[in-house]
Amino acid sequence: MTNLLEVRNLSKQFKSPGGPFRKARAMHAVNDVSFDLPKGRVVGVVGESGCGKSTLARLILRLIEPTDGTLRFDGEDLRAKSPAQMRKLRANMQMVFQDPYSAIDPRYTISRAVMEPFVVQDRKPASKPEEEVAALLRMVGLDPGLASSFPHQISGGQKQRVGIARALALRPQLLVLDEPTASLDVSVQAQIISLLEQLRDDLGLTYLFISHDLSLVRYFCDEILVMYLGRVVEALPDTDLPARHPYTATLMDSTFAPDPKLRRIITPLEGEVPSPFDLPPGCAFADRCPRAAAICRTETPVLSSDGGHAVACHNPI
Amino acid sequence: MSSMTGIAARWMAGYRGTPVSRAFGSWLGKIAGGFLVLLVLTAIFAPWITPFDYAAQDLTNGNAPPGWPHLLGTDQFGRDVLSRVIYGARTSLSVSATAIAISITAGMTLGAAAGYFGGFFERAVMTVVDLTWSFPDILIALIFVAIIGPGLTSTTFAIAIAYLAQFTRLTRAQIVRLKRETFIEATINLGAKPHHILLKHLLPNAIAPVIVVGMLAIGDGIVLEATLGFFGLGAQPPTPSWGAMMSSGTAQLFLSPWVIIFPGVVVAVTVIAVNLFGDELIRALDIRDRIRGS
Repeated sequence: MTNLLEVRNLSKQFKSPGGPFRKARAMHAVNDVSFDLPKGRVVGVVGESGCGKSTLARLILRLIEPTDGTLRFDGEDLRAKSPAQMRKLRANMQMVFQDPYSAIDPRYTISRAVMEPFVVQDRKPASKPEEEVAALLRMVGLDPGLASSFPHQISGGQKQRVGIARALALRPQLLVLDEPTASLDVSVQAQIISLLEQLRDDLGLTYLFISHDLSLVRYFCDEILVMYLGRVVEALPDTDLPARHPYTATLMDSTFAPDPKLRRIITPLEGEVPSPFDLPPGCAFADRCPRAAAICRTETPVLSSDGGHAVACHNPI
Repeated sequence: MSSMTGIAARWMAGYRGTPVSRAFGSWLGKIAGGFLVLLVLTAIFAPWITPFDYAAQDLTNGNAPPGWPHLLGTDQFGRDVLSRVIYGARTSLSVSATAIAISITAGMTLGAAAGYFGGFFERAVMTVVDLTWSFPDILIALIFVAIIGPGLTSTTFAIAIAYLAQFTRLTRAQIVRLKRETFIEATINLGAKPHHILLKHLLPNAIAPVIVVGMLAIGDGIVLEATLGFFGLGAQPPTPSWGAMMSSGTAQLFLSPWVIIFPGVVVAVTVIAVNLFGDELIRALDIRDRIRGS
């Protein structure tokens, strides 16, 4: 299986410049992240708020310029591309955003929003514009009669479908889904997820699925990356594998089972996430980890693989 | 079905028709807007509706009180006050509207560029623009009079510069706010060039408050034009201007008060109408917080 996307040692630091009254600080949003995204697979990235998931998505699409690392998309070095080349390539790599409510220009009709990708890329759609709009809307399960509506006239779930239609208009290979269901009702979430599954099968898409919802990721994805404070702490090649990193284990423990007979007491994590401005030496999770040893506070664990299942821990389960 | 609910929601919120037709919806909007439409029509058709030539002197009939045939009386040279007030509307409206148009064009360009590019460029532009705000309007006008002499050109540029900062700041604030919206990031991710982002997304979303503030500024511009005319820095004789007419009327304030009263009343009523209609527009567009925010 060929890799559509190869990410190597990707890092991003946000620097706040110093002044006469404050020190210059650097925030390590994403730290030394490497992974492969094979064609046709769905890789999920999970982690709590502020762990760098969304930054990772934007780094991969070069919406934010990485500080370090390499990105290879379909064999090409993305970071070596000029802005003009990058603009052309964007047609192949699209994104669905977390907030559908502000993802469409409020002054654009749905049909204008869906046709914008063609305008921007200076391409002619395969069929007549009205037919193309109708086909795209039907593809994401919307009534083509909505084409002349404005965003404020449709619901959040419908807006998210428009966002997906816009992203798919140019038939990209890669779709980055940045918490596409996080701001929708549970019933609508399920509809969007099943739409995404169906589109993947129909169009042969590759997904990078970003979410804080581990049970959703386990259901939807083929592989899982678990992030904690900007680092990948565990890479599960199969969603059924048991967690080896204590953090992943806690995340999995905190998901609810629908069966009331499986009720159990969840032990919450002690302590707080360290500040990304001021990372502790050693493992960032050490202060909250029930299995922490002396080495965890001095040496940063490296992601080491054991038959595809990689974990960054000195003392894995 | 779903588009029905959307339309129903807008109907319930009173959002029917265009913003301008909604501004005309209330009785205040009808009166203020009606007056302004009448004033603009009067100015446009001035040559056909004025009873006398605005510059024709009749020295034997100076300072005649309102009556027939001079409905609003005559000034010291026997010129018809009504005709001069009507032609004065042309001067006032065209000078003020031209000045504000220049101001909006320059202010939106500067503000959009500053807000979009940010960094050192933004700080440089905003510093210079804020500096112009610290000078009183009259002082700016005097500078122009000193450079190119008194007249309507000086007045126009003085008004344009006086309101430049307001439009630049307003546009910049809108652009900075809009730049953070997801739809901008989404459009960049489609591969859009900067000019597409700026012209097709940022500016169209920023324009509504600028238009309304521009409308209100036309009212202020009329006052400023009258002020400069009053001091003899604006329109030069025999061009009729409300400010210049009031200035010449001060000499005969007690002999023939109509010379100063009628242009004064017209200035006051016009400015009140502009402000009332501007308020109605703000309400109709629902952008009060965005205007206050700048």
